[in-house]
Amino acid sequence: MNIRRAKVEDLAGMQASNLQNLPENYSMRFWIYHLMSWPQLSYVAEDHKGRIVGYVLSRIEEPDEDNPEKDIHGHVNSISVLRQYRRLGIAKKLMLLSQEAMESVYGAAYVSLHVRRSNKAAIGLYKDTLGFEVAKVEKKYYGDGEDALSMRLYFDPEESHAQQ
Amino acid sequence: MSRPVPAKRTLPSKEASLFKDLLSLYESRQLKKALKTADQILKKCPEHGETICMKGLVLTHMGRRDEGIDLVKQGMRLDLTSHICWHVFGLIQKGEKNYDEALKSYTQALKFDKDNLNILRDAAHLQTQLRVFDALIDTRHTILRLRPNFRQHWIALAVAYHLNGNLLEAKKVLETYERTLKNIPDYDVEHSESLLYHIRVLEDLGEFKDALDKLDTSAKERSILDRTAILEYRARLLTKLQAPEAEFAWRALIDHNPDCYEYYRGYLSQKNLSLSSANPSSEEALELLQTLSTQIPRAAAPKRLALTLATGPAFSSLIKPYMTSALQKGIPSLFSDLKSLYSPTNPEKQNTIQTILEAELDGEEAADPSTYLWTLYYLAQHHSYLGDHVKALEVLDRAIEHTPTLPDLLMFKGRVLKRCGDYLGAARMLNEARLLDGQDRFLNTKTGKYLLRAGLVEEASGIFGLFTKKDAASPGADLEDMQSFLYILEEANAHRINNKLNLALKKYMAVVKVIESFEDDQYDFHGYNLRKFTVNIYLNLITWEDHIRAQPVYVRAALAAAKIFLEVHDDPSIAQAAAAVPELTEAEKKAKKKAKKAASKAEDNKKAQQQQNANEDKGLEPPTKDDDPDGTKLLTSPSGLETAAKLLRPLTNLLTTAKVDIAEKERMEIWLLSYDVAIRRRKLLQALTSLTHAQTLNSAHPGLHLRLVHLHHFIRTTLLNPSSSPSNPNGSPNPTGPPAPIGPAFLEGVKQLGVPDESQVSLETYNQQYLQKHAYPSPSDASKAEVVVACAKAMIILGAPLHEVENLLLGIVSTSGVGDGDGLTIGLALEIGEMLKGLASGREEEFREGCRRVFVRSTVFGVGGEEEVRVLREGVLRDPDVAVGADEVLSV
Repeated sequence: MNIRRAKVEDLAGMQASNLQNLPENYSMRFWIYHLMSWPQLSYVAEDHKGRIVGYVLSRIEEPDEDNPEKDIHGHVNSISVLRQYRRLGIAKKLMLLSQEAMESVYGAAYVSLHVRRSNKAAIGLYKDTLGFEVAKVEKKYYGDGEDALSMRLYFDPEESHAQQ
Repeated sequence: MSRPVPAKRTLPSKEASLFKDLLSLYESRQLKKALKTADQILKKCPEHGETICMKGLVLTHMGRRDEGIDLVKQGMRLDLTSHICWHVFGLIQKGEKNYDEALKSYTQALKFDKDNLNILRDAAHLQTQLRVFDALIDTRHTILRLRPNFRQHWIALAVAYHLNGNLLEAKKVLETYERTLKNIPDYDVEHSESLLYHIRVLEDLGEFKDALDKLDTSAKERSILDRTAILEYRARLLTKLQAPEAEFAWRALIDHNPDCYEYYRGYLSQKNLSLSSANPSSEEALELLQTLSTQIPRAAAPKRLALTLATGPAFSSLIKPYMTSALQKGIPSLFSDLKSLYSPTNPEKQNTIQTILEAELDGEEAADPSTYLWTLYYLAQHHSYLGDHVKALEVLDRAIEHTPTLPDLLMFKGRVLKRCGDYLGAARMLNEARLLDGQDRFLNTKTGKYLLRAGLVEEASGIFGLFTKKDAASPGADLEDMQSFLYILEEANAHRINNKLNLALKKYMAVVKVIESFEDDQYDFHGYNLRKFTVNIYLNLITWEDHIRAQPVYVRAALAAAKIFLEVHDDPSIAQAAAAVPELTEAEKKAKKKAKKAASKAEDNKKAQQQQNANEDKGLEPPTKDDDPDGTKLLTSPSGLETAAKLLRPLTNLLTTAKVDIAEKERMEIWLLSYDVAIRRRKLLQALTSLTHAQTLNSAHPGLHLRLVHLHHFIRTTLLNPSSSPSNPNGSPNPTGPPAPIGPAFLEGVKQLGVPDESQVSLETYNQQYLQKHAYPSPSDASKAEVVVACAKAMIILGAPLHEVENLLLGIVSTSGVGDGDGLTIGLALEIGEMLKGLASGREEEFREGCRRVFVRSTVFGVGGEEEVRVLREGVLRDPDVAVGADEVLSV
């Protein structure tokens, strides 16, 4: 699979892939917004015919009025790989590329994401393969009432210890 | 402004200060207070135009739209020289997405307040949306002159020049801008992005050396932070400069992301090597890839690219470990990964693969059960891809017997059945796969899609509904909201198969609506990206939006909708039939009742929310009302042909003016349907141009042949025949040939199309000649079946006797006729069935019987009568083990 930075031309394929795979969906404006705001952070995997089979859509969160102390950090909004393209390590590769960009372009201190509590496969990837840790549990985060694990990975390992 | 203020606009001092409050209350969207303030002013000065306009604007935001707009109009009439009134009016029009008119209002507003930054900014966005770039440049100049200290105003001017195609001027603006910069903080992403934009401009101008210098300096100073962009620009620029360092630059990119194919292509091309096996130097390229693969073992790309390049024994030695490792790991995508190695003209690689697979299965006893299973899975895909569906099903049954719980096997069995035309069986398989993993939306979506392919609209809705929002009016409404093209198009096609043309048309037009909303989506970014300095991606967005109708979904929907409009135009009775309300079945009645209940509940929720918060801003967009939910009005509308023309025009424009990625088959269909629509609208030159374009694409295309016959028949019987009374849409009779100014040009152009003069060869003979030439000795690009169908349609136009048309069409499925191997598809067979029905032919059933012979497993030609179809239909959603029901899935 060819893995590269997401382009505007990929938006429709990313949206279609998301709709097919995941229960959390977004209108095109949302997809455009992410690419227009943080064009360096999103990546796609495509097959030989150029069809999008996986993507990661990411953003940057900066300190704001509500949270002036907050570190600048990356956040993974949505990641998915089509069912037939699993076990190839695509999700891991997409995550690593996005993380690299969060750190090098924006100086992000860490990356965060939400995952369904029941999604063992994804939690395994984040925890065991990528080194994420659970920061907190968000009760009834999803539309259907399921809890989310809010997970984090500090780019500087020392920072990670300091936070615990 | 020196213009005197008209007396009626001047407010007493108390009201004047209230008016200022009103403006700032509106800005902060404190709508209730704003309304109160406006009323206070109006008590004293009821004729104050600006206040009336503001009140109207506030009311519109509050959702009291009709009342609000009336007030705005009333206020306008009272004060036509106020920039506030025109601005308000422009805002309302912009909210209605009436960008053209909105820009006119803004231009008026600027007449009365030419330096108003808010109005200038909005005007610039409208000018960008409407692509009026000359005017945009003027506006950007004015804004920059007024506020030269804002960095974004400089970038905005450069972008305006850029959009207008004047890169040189864009570059000059950027240079001036950069000279004004001081005290740029470290690690400034915005600055980084604007430098990358500058470098892109230089590259697009062909000034590669300057671009590279700027890139290297900025990278060294750490002013550009985007490492991927630095590396990519560098490699590209060095390549364009033919510099020897280019090789290292591409190599660095491979290290940066070893799974990007483009980087390998760039690297190899520096060594004059290519990634195609047709290249004579492929051995050297292969060696290089193998070296890279050893250097970067985690990379999958060089291993896969090597398979494309290798041939003979080298291929055998590479593919074996590649496949073995994937089969052991159970990688489901192995076949789709490798199928691009298959070739009908050079089957060497697929044969090698088959040998490996069969060897693997021979050692069955020793093999690990999981490897065995995935090997069977691969083999089934292999056979089906090569057209041997029977063998594929055999292999799949073996696999399913071995492990009945692997969804992938059932999913693929469904796919094979679908390829055989057994849509009901296919849907049943998918549903079984879905029941094995109810939490997986992918399986759910696929099941819904397969149900729609089988025409089971209600059943599909139930399945989709397991994942859509529970508070939506219906699963379909949610999916449409979420812009799921897959759902909308598949349901449209399902209605089409079920002959519910109104519902089909409604859904095709829903695709068009979503595409239109994508077009609107860009509006906010005309300002946003300039503030964020993300210019490069913004410019790509603009191009993408300009080509948005080249999206395959739009092309498909527009063509399908145009076809329906044409059918209805030619035979209005089908619209009446399709739109007639049929007897509902019990299940349908229930579903309808449920949907109605859900819709009214959704409406109630909305109302309750509205009452809760009267201050809530509802924006300026008019709420969407649908007064034609089942598409009946659309289908029976007298302006169907005009709508079809509107759908096709953007496509023909794109084909003639832009480089867009539309497949040749679709290009052909666009021109052919454009002809069909134009000739019926008596747009003679348009019709002619369409055929000329079609001829350039493929002069032997059966669809084109049909139109050529149609055109000449039309000229003879309608255009040049004084006694005919054409059904002219304008009602103006056209008895003496084409209108004078275009007549000669048109007839001359028709001659150029190359159909022999009728005095020498009759159209009937011409049609037979085409049939002989293209259907029997060797088919052209089109299949024999397509040629036969086109000729049969031509015969119908020419008024041939029914039995001749029937003989020709029935020949397709006769044992000695063309048959399956000659390109008869299920879709085409169904079309022929419809043709025969339309001709009131007595041989329709005979044809269906023939189809059942050709498509043995298909369910669409009435296997064993309707009863069996009914049983299958009911069986589709039945759980084989009755273990996990739909309700249980719901509660997951």
